[in-house]
Amino acid sequence: MRRLYLSATLIFWLLVTAFWVGSLWLPPAEKNVAIAVDKSISPTELAKHTAPENCWVAIRGNVYDLSAYLPEHPSQPDILLPWCGKEATEAYNTKSKGRPHSPYADELLVKYRIGILASGKP
Amino acid sequence: MTCAVSLIWWAFPEGLSTARTLGIVLGWAGCSLLLASLLLMLRETWLAQWLGGLERMYQWHHWTGTTAYVLLLAHPLVLAADVWPNSRLLAWQTLSPFSQGWPIWAGWLSLLLLMLGLAATFIMRIPYQIWRLLHFGLGVGVLLGFVHLVLLGISEPVLPILGLAASFLGWRLIRDDFGLAARPYVVGSVKSVAEGMVEISLKPMAAPAAITPGQFVLVAFLGPTFRDCGEFHPFTVSSNGANHEICIVVKALGNCTRHIQSVEPGAMVRVHGAFGTFLADRPPTPQLWVAGGIGIIPFLALLRTGPVNQPTTLLYLYRAEVDAAFLHELQVIAKGDQLLSLKALATGDKAPDLNSLLSDTQGLANYECYLCGPRGMVAALRKDLHNRGVTPHQIHFEKFEFR
Repeated sequence: MRRLYLSATLIFWLLVTAFWVGSLWLPPAEKNVAIAVDKSISPTELAKHTAPENCWVAIRGNVYDLSAYLPEHPSQPDILLPWCGKEATEAYNTKSKGRPHSPYADELLVKYRIGILASGKP
Repeated sequence: MTCAVSLIWWAFPEGLSTARTLGIVLGWAGCSLLLASLLLMLRETWLAQWLGGLERMYQWHHWTGTTAYVLLLAHPLVLAADVWPNSRLLAWQTLSPFSQGWPIWAGWLSLLLLMLGLAATFIMRIPYQIWRLLHFGLGVGVLLGFVHLVLLGISEPVLPILGLAASFLGWRLIRDDFGLAARPYVVGSVKSVAEGMVEISLKPMAAPAAITPGQFVLVAFLGPTFRDCGEFHPFTVSSNGANHEICIVVKALGNCTRHIQSVEPGAMVRVHGAFGTFLADRPPTPQLWVAGGIGIIPFLALLRTGPVNQPTTLLYLYRAEVDAAFLHELQVIAKGDQLLSLKALATGDKAPDLNSLLSDTQGLANYECYLCGPRGMVAALRKDLHNRGVTPHQIHFEKFEFR
């Protein structure tokens, strides 16, 4: 068991280091990943996408299609589902006892961005 | 194992990629094994009887704890590997607590406490008190692991499990470490039986513990007139009288046991147990008992109850004559018991030569062998006996280690 502990711990730290080093050398495509088509989406259009398999959410002025991400969200589905088709910036900023989501979550959101929320028009 | 499989089945994710599913399953499997590990550290006589003895429980406690640790190390790595093909940055951010919030910090703190606590068990040769503190950190690490899940928003199966884990830790702390499960005894007499070795008789002050020969009890001297290190130590019971008075033998091996040599009659003692299955359920076949030093105590306890029922050879090894505790009493018992053959020998610092000692013992392969003594002696004897045709099933011993 001593050998198992030592080898598992060593491999763990080697792999953590490998993930860190890997993040330092990003391929060019990944650096430009945040550039998306700035399609303007109205609140009316947003409100049509309320189903779990067709879930759009507006956060901080951007609209995200979270349909593919819903099963991966760590919390219970009933926490996120009510926000489908709605503006959810406040909820996003105050999850679990008023704390905002992490920078990691911000990074993750970028993958699901489909446009910007049009303000002032229905 | 059933607990782990049930929890994984209950929480098995659907519709995710294979790597992410594996990462989540590894996390749940680790959690359930940690929970099992906490249950296995409880020192309750009924639980030990049910699970095959305290020593077996501790072996499983170590196995479940170490396996859980390995699975939990793999958990974040596999989750990060899942997003690696899409984004290396995202893979690192999945792992790094600096780019995430308290949920991931709790997970990391949990892993680091598990790492440190297990390092104290497997690598560092540290004093018992420091080891105990770091081992207690393991318990905090387990709780933090469940807090990590709660902070992620996974509350439904986790809160009851967190409650269960906290109950197991509290149970161990209050009933076992603080001694609520122990029974009150008082020291009746203290007798020197060899150099640095005393036999202490203990009288029950309430309902006595149920003890069979070969078992050990956990004892702490916590009275106002005499205190030891404030913790429970295992001592084999050397006799169990008709009036429920028991005797334990204490050898000065460390600061605590050295201090106990000076205990006087009237001191208050707490006794928890009894535990152990060393001499239980012996078959009616010829037997070889080998005792090294203080390892004679379980055999002495059995011989003090009456003659043996099967041909028995007792090999009593000690370093020097001054260490030969109870030798005269054993010689008297052997003289009056036709089935018992006693061989006593001072071995010095050398390992005993089994071939010469057992040259007249025919058909050793048909013997049940019971070994009790220092770890090195037991390991060498097991090897010798194996070479002489004794199968592992015929060799019985207890490691007597509860770290």
